[in-house]
Amino acid sequence: MVLLMNEYYSAKIEAIRNLKLKQTEEKIRRNGRTLNGDDKGLIPYEGTFTFKPEYNHPKGIMGPEACGRNYRRLLESHPVYIDPSNALPGGWMFSFSSYKGALWNDNYSYDKLAEEQKVYDIISGIGACHHFMADMKIGFQLGLGGILNKIHHYRDINDPARRPFYNALEDCVLGIQNIILRHADEAERLAENESDPDQKLFYSRMADSCRWIASNPPRSFYEAIMFTSWFILTLDMYNGAGAAVGEIDQFLYPYYEKDKSLGLITDDEVVYLAVCLFVKDNFYSQIGGCRIDGSDKTNELSFLILEATHQLKIPTSLCVRVHEQLNPELLYRAVKYMFEDKNGTPSFIGDKGLNEGFVRNGYPMELAVTRARAGCHWVNIPGREYTLNDCVKINFVKVFEVALHDMLENTNEPSADLLWDYFKRHLARAVDLTIEGIEFHLKYMEESFPELPMDLFCYGPIEKGYDATNGFKRAMEYYNMCIDGSGLAVVADSFAAIRQRVEEQGLISWQKLIEVLENDFEGSEDNRLMLRSNPRYGSGGSLADEYAVEIVRHFVFCCKKGPTPSGFVIIPGLFSWSNTIGMGKVCKATPDGRHTGAPISHGANPTPGFREAGALTALANAVASVQCGYGNTVPVQIEVDPKLGADEGGIEIFMEFIKTYFNTMKGTLMNLNIINKDTILAAHENPEDFPDLIVRVTGFSAYFAALSRDFRQLVVDRIIEGA
Amino acid sequence: MDNLIFDIQQFSVHDGPGIRTTVFFKGCNLRCAWCHNPESISPDPVLQLYPHKCIHCGKCIEVCPHNCNIIVDGELSYRRELCDGCGECARVCYAQSRQIAGRRWDADEIMKIVERDLHFYKSSGGGVTFSGGEPMLQHEFLLSLLEKCKEIGLHTAVDTAGNVLFERFEQVRPLVDLFLYDLKVMDDEVHKRFTGVSNRLIIENLKRLADGRSDIYIRIPVIPGVNDNMDNMRKSADLLSPLSGIKLVELLPFHFLGEAKYKSLGMEYPIREFGPLSKVKTAQFAVVFSEAGLKVKAH
Repeated sequence: MVLLMNEYYSAKIEAIRNLKLKQTEEKIRRNGRTLNGDDKGLIPYEGTFTFKPEYNHPKGIMGPEACGRNYRRLLESHPVYIDPSNALPGGWMFSFSSYKGALWNDNYSYDKLAEEQKVYDIISGIGACHHFMADMKIGFQLGLGGILNKIHHYRDINDPARRPFYNALEDCVLGIQNIILRHADEAERLAENESDPDQKLFYSRMADSCRWIASNPPRSFYEAIMFTSWFILTLDMYNGAGAAVGEIDQFLYPYYEKDKSLGLITDDEVVYLAVCLFVKDNFYSQIGGCRIDGSDKTNELSFLILEATHQLKIPTSLCVRVHEQLNPELLYRAVKYMFEDKNGTPSFIGDKGLNEGFVRNGYPMELAVTRARAGCHWVNIPGREYTLNDCVKINFVKVFEVALHDMLENTNEPSADLLWDYFKRHLARAVDLTIEGIEFHLKYMEESFPELPMDLFCYGPIEKGYDATNGFKRAMEYYNMCIDGSGLAVVADSFAAIRQRVEEQGLISWQKLIEVLENDFEGSEDNRLMLRSNPRYGSGGSLADEYAVEIVRHFVFCCKKGPTPSGFVIIPGLFSWSNTIGMGKVCKATPDGRHTGAPISHGANPTPGFREAGALTALANAVASVQCGYGNTVPVQIEVDPKLGADEGGIEIFMEFIKTYFNTMKGTLMNLNIINKDTILAAHENPEDFPDLIVRVTGFSAYFAALSRDFRQLVVDRIIEGA
Repeated sequence: MDNLIFDIQQFSVHDGPGIRTTVFFKGCNLRCAWCHNPESISPDPVLQLYPHKCIHCGKCIEVCPHNCNIIVDGELSYRRELCDGCGECARVCYAQSRQIAGRRWDADEIMKIVERDLHFYKSSGGGVTFSGGEPMLQHEFLLSLLEKCKEIGLHTAVDTAGNVLFERFEQVRPLVDLFLYDLKVMDDEVHKRFTGVSNRLIIENLKRLADGRSDIYIRIPVIPGVNDNMDNMRKSADLLSPLSGIKLVELLPFHFLGEAKYKSLGMEYPIREFGPLSKVKTAQFAVVFSEAGLKVKAH
């Protein structure tokens, strides 16, 4: 299926892309090159906007009732935004979370726990928002009016003490309806003043559909995608939750199929409408994937969605879900576009590793296949599973540092074996402290910052009268809490360096090692390089490779030794997101030759320069060997030379590489950059000359020019020294 | 000097079909002026020097048994003429300012690396390629590796310049699925001038090898001013066209890589005299082979 876009849509798509670039430049002008995360499609507002939050607590807005009321007030005053090229109205400019005051309600204090967690540089997730996925289909079935009725129904029959929670949910719906209807009014006004008949129709249609979906279930593909857009935008206006979208080619498909069969829509209009959606937020979604019987979910819409990201060429986070029966044409097209567009899109996830892993938690495969890509490195069951994915991390490097110091304080005969025992003990302690934090969050988050608009689109919160975060009331069906380990390579390499360089080869004494670490290798570059040149994790068959596997095995054991004290499931993964820099800053020099304060290793990847000559297969083998195996991802980040795709047969070879990694080796997630060294070096030097260069920083992608220097450096190091 | 390997490259995608691991044998009996692996030429280990990486730790001076390294006017000086490539200095040079090209491996050690990517070979139709240097110069070691590959059912390829006695081809061919056979220049005088040897044995071997019992990819490096002319390409096509087993003709563009390697080996970089390669010409050459009924791929 090769689509030749008609000129009308092509022109609009180009205008959308150019406006996005212009807005990005404006954001850089206002904020400098400071981006350390996803920009989430923020529209820079040009006027003056004031919103006065009504605090109900000395530190800010706390608990459902006040959050719901203030969110509704924000939506009622949020500026209206219509791009004349974009058929989907609305733009995210302001978020309730930035007016909320303190994120955490200090009526529920955890100072002691925080202090203990700090020892291991644990990112606790306490107070962290969203990072689970709602189910769009609830909105599609009920419409906002139906959701409002549902709230009223359960408010009437459930415990009257829960009325404030229901009132908060009602406020959310009323606020969302308000902003949609104000856009309907604005579109109507634009239509009245428009002289061009096509554009007049464009606005009228927008106004009509807005007015309809403000209360009713969508009737057409256009209304369904508009509903999706409002879902994303209004959740972003709350706390950024709109980024988790999931199976976009599935939940929109019935509307596509119906409109197509009635001749109401063309494929190029579908691509254009998808473009209109993808510019709203760099949201996470997937195409492809398998059903319970192993058959492929790919449909015509999967291709059109992929086509939309290809046409748009801005940072997007579309992902292809790979399995044995995946439509080969979809994979071919995805790889081809990845090489052509060089913007890190799409990424790839694997059914086999994820699904088989999830089943090991005791869940049926029927449930596993419903988990869909919804974030940087994570998947989620839409509307049923609360997870705190990507919010909870243990800094393995800090755990190693603590273990090393603890050992040295307690013995005069240090050894790699003894250090391993200390490390294992401290890692177990770090996991326990992390679990304690997770349970604390599940108990009190509702009274701090409930997930109100997400509750509307989940199975349980409205029915039970409790917020999705309220694990102790089991508001959601499943609480599968994520813990990620970070900095694996640094620790594995450090253990191997001690064992081999110190103990086996005697190239440096323990005493000298401790001395050079304390001094951050000052005046000891030869020793640093000696340690650094020990075969590292990723080199294949090295001791560091073995240590990496053992570290992960122990980490998984600690996480999976049983349910948490209050009966929640923990699912381990390995990921650092963009915390590689921050986590590195708090760690002293390490025996792998890493300097004090230098970034820790990225996700589960080996450290840059892990081999003299990089090889994609070596990298893939390494990361496949450290999969945690319970359904959360251990991503591999790969930088690929564009030349590979340009060679005859190069795309086919890369397809086989992807298929082998997922279908045979049970890899879980692959994030890629297609970029050559010269380009990235030139862009690092003069970012302003490369305004449209897009890189996949970690799970998210961004305009390279908008990134902070530290982050640009991180990407550059990976590409220059990496595989 | 057997068992000498200077590199093993995983995810090799240009040396035969699919995803492969390429094992580079050290030692070559041609002296191609455009060689981009000059460290492969000598049949002995050779030291490569990268002075910009030196951190002046002085360890190389301490360990060198031949006093190759001395301080002259406060600067480290290396006397290559005294060096026998023992690699002692490279072993202690953690800054990688000194690296040794080539070391002895045993076959099982190589197979351990080869076996890491079994999954990828299987799915992509790839396997192992033995390249160089000239792998046929270490044919016994090559044979033992080929046997081990066949024991585990791997697809095997041998990349050769063909300048060895044909008996060696006879020995290895039952274990080789594909030969990557270099055909450089048809004019013998030009061949001698730029490679140091006659092409007679090479062409003779090719004719005998191409009897239909072996699959062959012909590889022609397109070198400006040496063989990038229609006459040479037509003659090559005339030679290849009647032969059996020629599955593909690959036109490999000359590229300016390897200059740093020459410098590291203390060798003159001979390639400057060649001009830039014309893509148009390469495309025209491809037509010549295609018209001769040969499948051709221009990289």
